Amino acid sequence: MIRFEQVGKRYPNGHVGLHELSFRVRRGEFLFVTGHSGAGKSTLLRLLLAMERPSTGKLLLAGQDLSTISNAQIPYLRRQIGVVFQNHQLLFDRTVFNNVALPLQILGLSKSEIVKRVDSALERVALSDKTDLYPGDLSTGQQQRVGIARAIVHRPALLLADEPTGNLDPRLAAEIMGVFEDINRLGTSVLIASHDLALIARMRHRMLTLQRGRLIGDGEAGV
Amino acid sequence: MSATRSPKVAERVAPKASDPQPQKKKRDDDDGPDFATLLRAWIESHRASLLDSLRRLGKQPIGSFFTCMVMAVALSLPMGLSLLLNNVERLGGSWQRAAQISLYLQMDASPGEGQALREQIKAMPGVSDAEYIGREQALEEFQQQSGLGDALKELPENPLPGVVLVTPNEVDKPALEALRQRLSELPKVQQAQLDLVWVERLAAILKLGDRFVFGLTVLLVSALLLVIGNTIRLHIENRRTEIEVIKLVGGTDSYVRRPFLYMGALYGFGAGILSWGVLAFGLDWLNDAVVGLAGLYGSDFSLAGVPVADGLSLLLGAVLLGYIGAWIAVARHLRELAPK
Repeated sequence: MIRFEQVGKRYPNGHVGLHELSFRVRRGEFLFVTGHSGAGKSTLLRLLLAMERPSTGKLLLAGQDLSTISNAQIPYLRRQIGVVFQNHQLLFDRTVFNNVALPLQILGLSKSEIVKRVDSALERVALSDKTDLYPGDLSTGQQQRVGIARAIVHRPALLLADEPTGNLDPRLAAEIMGVFEDINRLGTSVLIASHDLALIARMRHRMLTLQRGRLIGDGEAGV
Repeated sequence: MSATRSPKVAERVAPKASDPQPQKKKRDDDDGPDFATLLRAWIESHRASLLDSLRRLGKQPIGSFFTCMVMAVALSLPMGLSLLLNNVERLGGSWQRAAQISLYLQMDASPGEGQALREQIKAMPGVSDAEYIGREQALEEFQQQSGLGDALKELPENPLPGVVLVTPNEVDKPALEALRQRLSELPKVQQAQLDLVWVERLAAILKLGDRFVFGLTVLLVSALLLVIGNTIRLHIENRRTEIEVIKLVGGTDSYVRRPFLYMGALYGFGAGILSWGVLAFGLDWLNDAVVGLAGLYGSDFSLAGVPVADGLSLLLGAVLLGYIGAWIAVARHLRELAPK
């Protein structure tokens, strides 16, 4: 699903985000990427989302080389990915329904198909009764779940999450992680960047550890 | 851009625990939607973008109106000047048609020979009319017009030649010059005079006016692009998060651009309508004064209003300018979002 081959990222100001990173992620795998602030977690996610291009090496996602992908191809690549942000990135002038429907509207699906899929996604995150509310009417945990629903509504092959539990209390964080595991069980590869080691350790999935842009650990969490 | 959802639909399509899973749906996804579905989606996306843009403009009616008004003023200045120049050209054209060639006959040409020459000239191609003025009549008219009546009576003989005034039906300078040359070669003709200096001066002034209007148009179109670009840039700033999210969930540049292009085109449309109205009203308002002035010179000249074709061109141009201004503004923003 994902293949990093000696991937490096150097910024114009000389800062090195990633040093020759190499690893693979299988289809349907659940993976954590952890490390302190500045370790390179967000850079890794930005590369996977084609928000930035690698400076060196080769990065393959679902068979496509992100080092050489054209700008015109990027939207179609991103349609295979779902993304969950720490700050949710919800649109506060749209209802929950319309926030979740956004990827489907971009795909050009019919209204009936959109309604069907949005209902299904909202049910998975237990927000079926909140469709006509606005994000401002919801709690932080509910907003995060709306973000998750939006990330899975178009049935992506890969789900990326950047510190998805960063703003949540431990109970809500565990609940959100449960949602990710449910999604993973349906066949979606899940890659979560988080520095919440205690939470990661409880879940016993593969964990990549980054430090100053280098991969210093690759094994099962909690082992 | 936003799908609406009625509660009835929500009730009808109740979520099920056994909803399709990604693997099971894979075949459908791989097949992709058919052409009709894609076309419907494309039309729906355009309709939604247009409605969304209208809604956003309607939310700030005063701001939108003033933006349109600024654009309308910028459009009206060159267009109004151009229409005025067209009217002056029309007026100049009617004067030009009244241009005459004066044939001064030899002093020994008799009135009979003058009349015969008039008949001969009248039958020539390119001649609309010809009038013979005998030597005596010329002297009489000169005495009346110059105020030198008594002094002229003291002259031993009439110094003025007979004249044939030729009214050509061609108006362009080379044709008039060719006719003058032909007439000058006729027997008994001493001199053929064509006075085109004033026509040339008028043409030069109109040419200068055209250049001025062109320069003004270029300047004001640039200003208009800046106005619309800046207005759209503010809309983009207000929707920055939305654009970033759309891009991250797979929205193409054209999907992001679409509502802003509609917005630019709508601004242009509003400005075009306002400008057309301002020009029509302005020319009508000026016309009363122009008709009064022309009447004093014995002319029935009046200003032509805004021709429908010109009005439609103005409207189309305004819409295009709005569209282009919006395109430039959005393109700049999209470049910032491109991966580096």
